[in-house]
Amino acid sequence: MALATEKDRQRTTSRLRRAGNSRLVLLGLLVLALGSFLVGVKVGRQLVLLDRMVTQRFSGQRFRVASRVLSAPTILYPGLDWKNVDLPGALTRLGYQAETNPGPLLPGRYVFGKNKLRVHLRALEHPTRPEPDRDVEITFDGSEIAEIRDVTNGRELGAVLLEPELVGSYYGPDREQRELVRLGEVPRHLIDAILSAEDQRFDEHHGIDPVRIVGAFLANVRHGGVRQGGSTVTEQLAKNFFLTPERTLSRRIRTALLSMIMEARYSKDEILECYLNEIYLGQRGATEVHGVGEASRLYFGKPVRELTVAEAALIAAVIPGPNGISPYKNPERALARRNLVLDLMHEQERIDDETWKISRAEPLHISAVTPESSDARYFLDALRRQLPEVYDNEGLTSEGLKIYSTLDLRLQRIGATALRDGLAALEKRFPKLKPESPDKQIEGCLIALRPQTGEVLALVGGRGYSVSQFDRCVQAKRQMGSTFKPFVYIAALEPEGGRPVITLASTLEDEPLSIPTPSGPWTPVNYDHQFHGTVTVRDALEHSRNVPTARLAQEVGIERIAALAQRLGIESPLPLVPSLALGVADVAPIEVARAYAAIANGGIRPEIRTFEDVVDPQGHTLARREIEFQPVLDAGTAYLATSLMEGVVERGTAVSVRTSGLLGPIAGKTGTTDSGRDAWFVGFTPELLAVVWVGFDEPRNTPLTGATGALPIWIRFMKEATSGQIRGAFLPPPEVITLDIDPSSGAIALAGCPQRKSEVFLLGTLPARECPEGGGMIERAAQPPEPVPSSKAPSHEPKPHGRGFVDWLRGVF
Amino acid sequence: MAPRLPARLALFSLLQALVLACARPGTARPAATAGTAKGSVEEEAPPAQGAPPLHLSGLTLDGDPARRASMRFVLEGLDADDAGSADEAANLYERALQVDPSNPYAYLALARQRAEGPEPAHALPYLEKARALFAAQKAETPSVQAHLCGLRALALEAAGRGEEAKEEMARAKALAPDAWRDGRLDAAELR
Repeated sequence: MALATEKDRQRTTSRLRRAGNSRLVLLGLLVLALGSFLVGVKVGRQLVLLDRMVTQRFSGQRFRVASRVLSAPTILYPGLDWKNVDLPGALTRLGYQAETNPGPLLPGRYVFGKNKLRVHLRALEHPTRPEPDRDVEITFDGSEIAEIRDVTNGRELGAVLLEPELVGSYYGPDREQRELVRLGEVPRHLIDAILSAEDQRFDEHHGIDPVRIVGAFLANVRHGGVRQGGSTVTEQLAKNFFLTPERTLSRRIRTALLSMIMEARYSKDEILECYLNEIYLGQRGATEVHGVGEASRLYFGKPVRELTVAEAALIAAVIPGPNGISPYKNPERALARRNLVLDLMHEQERIDDETWKISRAEPLHISAVTPESSDARYFLDALRRQLPEVYDNEGLTSEGLKIYSTLDLRLQRIGATALRDGLAALEKRFPKLKPESPDKQIEGCLIALRPQTGEVLALVGGRGYSVSQFDRCVQAKRQMGSTFKPFVYIAALEPEGGRPVITLASTLEDEPLSIPTPSGPWTPVNYDHQFHGTVTVRDALEHSRNVPTARLAQEVGIERIAALAQRLGIESPLPLVPSLALGVADVAPIEVARAYAAIANGGIRPEIRTFEDVVDPQGHTLARREIEFQPVLDAGTAYLATSLMEGVVERGTAVSVRTSGLLGPIAGKTGTTDSGRDAWFVGFTPELLAVVWVGFDEPRNTPLTGATGALPIWIRFMKEATSGQIRGAFLPPPEVITLDIDPSSGAIALAGCPQRKSEVFLLGTLPARECPEGGGMIERAAQPPEPVPSSKAPSHEPKPHGRGFVDWLRGVF
Repeated sequence: MAPRLPARLALFSLLQALVLACARPGTARPAATAGTAKGSVEEEAPPAQGAPPLHLSGLTLDGDPARRASMRFVLEGLDADDAGSADEAANLYERALQVDPSNPYAYLALARQRAEGPEPAHALPYLEKARALFAAQKAETPSVQAHLCGLRALALEAAGRGEEAKEEMARAKALAPDAWRDGRLDAAELR
C-alpha cells in the first residue's frame, strides 16, 4: 500500500511535472506569440508611420526652394562703351568660360580676339521676353562697341542682352538654394555619371542592394577602414529626406525600411528625380547648394542641360564630400575623383572610348565663385516690402519664384564701395567720428534711381548688412535740412494758376528776421552766422542761405510749401511751422529721392519701382509692376528748379563736383542739419539720380556738412557709375525762354545795359523792368516786347509780367 | 522807344504757339477742321491732307547710339503689340527706356498701347511725358502732334471727358487725316 502510494505519488508528481512543463511551454508559446504580436504591431505601426512619412513628402511640396531675385539685364549695343557695363566682369559673374580655339562655340563660351569678342550668349528664359541663345561677334573700336553680328546668319544686330545676374535669394532657416530640374532636362551622361559612381545597380535593386553592401564591406576590410559606402541612391535620398545624419543601427534600419517603401510606392524615375534635386553638392558662401541644377550653376554657371560629360562627371565626383572634394579647395583631388568617375562610366560602358579619352584630358573648367553679396541685402528687403502682400515670407522662402528686379548690380557694387570707403575716409579725416563701439559707428545710405521711370538701380542701406540690417534709405527718417529748400523755391516759382511769387531775376533780403511762433520768436541764422543784404534767388539757393529762404517761405506760405512737397512725393508728415522751410521735417531718403526725381523728370513724378515681374517655377507671370508716373508740377517750373540746382553745382555749396573733375549736366543740393547731425547730398544728371545721407543712427553732433560728409561719396559714386561720361542734357520745355538780364536789378538787359547775364523764365513771367530804363533793343531772340511797368515792384519781389507769351501771340496774329 | 520785333522771332514764336496749341489742354484754339462729332471720337471725316504719316521704322538711324538701340526695342515692341503680345511689348518698351530714358517714341508707344488697351485713361501720363520730351527735344512735328492729340482723345473719352476728346480727335484728324481717319492708331501704323 505504501509502495503503491509512493508510485502513485511519483506518477502524480511526474504527471504534474509534465502538466507543468506543458503549461510552461504553452505559456512560453503564448508569451512568444504575444511578444511576436506586439513586435509585429509595433513594427507594423512603425511601417505605417514610415509609409505615411513617405507619401506625405512625395505628395506634398517636396522641396523648399528659395525665391531668387535677378538683376536687370545688361544691354549691349553699338556705340556703348563696354567699360560702362563692365562686360568682362559680367561674363565672369555669369559663368561664361573663355575658349582659346575659335571653332564652334557652345552656349556660355567666349573667345577674345583682337578688337573682337565672340560669345555664345545663353538663352534668356522669361515668360514675356524670351531670348534665344545667340552666337554673336562683337567688334570694338577702342572701348566702344562698333558692331554686333549674329555669327550664324551674318546679320547685324541692334542690341543684345546678357542674361540677368543673381542678386540674392529669400532663404528659409536652412539657407539652402536649389534650382529644380525635371528628369527630362537632365542629360543622360549626368545620370550615368552619378549612377556609375553611386549606385551602379540602381535599376535592379528594390531600395537596398545586398550585392553593393557586401562589395563595400569587402572593400572596406581590404583597405582597413571605411572606403566605400553601401548606400544606394534610394537610401541616400531617404537619409537626406527624412532622417538626421547620426550613425546608429536603428537609423540604418529605418533608412532601409524607408528605401523599400519608396521603391514600392514610386517609380525609379520619380526617385531619381527627387535625388537629383535633393543631393547636397557644395557651398556658395554661407548657402548650401542642393541638386544638380544649382550645382551646375555653381560650378559651371550654366543650366544643367548644357553640361558636358566631363562636367557631369565632376558633379558626380563631389557627391561623397562636396567640401573635401571641392574643385575650388582641392582641384587636384577633384580632378582625380572626376577621372575616377569617368573611368567607372567607361568600365560600365556608359561612355565610349573616344568620349572617355577626350573627357579625361579636359581640364577643370570651373566658373568663378560668385557668392551672393551682402551688399544687395538692403535692396532685397526693400523689394520684399514692395511685393504684393500675397508673397509672404513662407512663400518667398519656399516657392522658388523668380523676381526680375530693376537693380543694376554694377551700380550697386559701386554704391556699396563708395559708401563704405567714403565713411571710412570721413572717420580718418574727422577723428571725432571714430566709433565708441563697432555698433555705433557713423552710418550712411545711398540710393540711385532712374528719374524717368522710378527704377531703383542701387540701394545701399548702411555700411554692412551683417552689422546692421536697419535700412537707412527706407526705414530711417531724418531731418532733410537744406535739401528741403528747393521745395520752397519751387513753390515760389510755380505759377499755379496765378502769378509766381518770384522769378529767377528776383532778389531776396538776407537781413535779420524774427518770426513769431506759439513757442516764441523764431530767428533763423545763416550757416556762416552772417547776413548778406540783398541777394539773388540763385545766390540764396546756391549758397543755401537760411534767412532769405525762411523769409521767402513766409511769403509763399508754409501750407503751400508743404502741399507742394507732398505732391512731389514726400509722404512723411510735415510740421506746418516756419522752420519747415529749412528742413526740420523727418523724412526717409527714399522719399527725398522720389521728390527730386519728379523735378529731374520735368515735373512728372515716377513711382518707385524695385521689380518688373514675379514669375513662378512653371514660367507664369504672377505679378507685374509697370512704369507709372503722375504729372505733379509744370515742366517749366521743374526746369527752373533744375537750373537753380545746376547753379549749386557750378558755383555753390556743391562746387566740389566740378573741382573733382566731374563734367556734364548735373544739378543738386546739399543739406546739413543742426550741428552736423545729418549730412545730405541729392544730385542728378539727366538720366541718373542719387541721394546720399550720412549720420549716426542715434543722432549726434558731427563736424560734417552735406558738402564734406555726403557729397564726396556722391561724387565717387557718380564718377564711377557714369565713367565720367554723362549722357543727355537738361532741355528747357517750350514754355521756358532764356534772355539776358541785369544781374543787379533783375531787369531785362537791353542794348546799353552795363552788365548782363543769361537767365531762364517761364512765359508770361518776364521781368517788368528794363536796363537801361526806358528801353533799347533786346538782343536775344524768342522773347516778346515788354511794356514798361506802371509802378516799380519791390526789389525782393519782382512781379511777373501779367500778359503771357501765348496771349501776346494771339494778340499779334 | 518800344523794342522792335524781328521777323525770324515772329516765325519762331508762331511755331511755338502751334506746339502749345495742340499739346496743352485748355489753351488751344479749336482746329479749323473740327467736324460735328455726335458723341463718338471716331465720326469725323476731314479732308485727306495733312502731315505725312509717322513711321518709327524710319527713325532707327537717328540720334546717338543709345537712341538708335532704344528705337530698335520700340520697333520690336510694336511688332509684339501687333502680334497681340501686350506684355512682351511692354517689356520691350521698358528695355527701350532702360537704354534711353528720354526716348519720347518709347513713351508714345506705351501710350498707344494703353490707349488701345482695356484702360485707355491710363495713357494720359505717358502722353504727358511724351509731349514734354518731344517738345524739349524739338521733335514735335505735326505728325507727332497728331498722334499725341489722337491718343489723348481716346484716353479722354475713356475718362468720361467726351467734349475734350472730340476736340482732340478733331485736331488729330486735321493734322493727319490718313492716320486718324478710323479714330485709331494700330501698332503697325505707328511702326
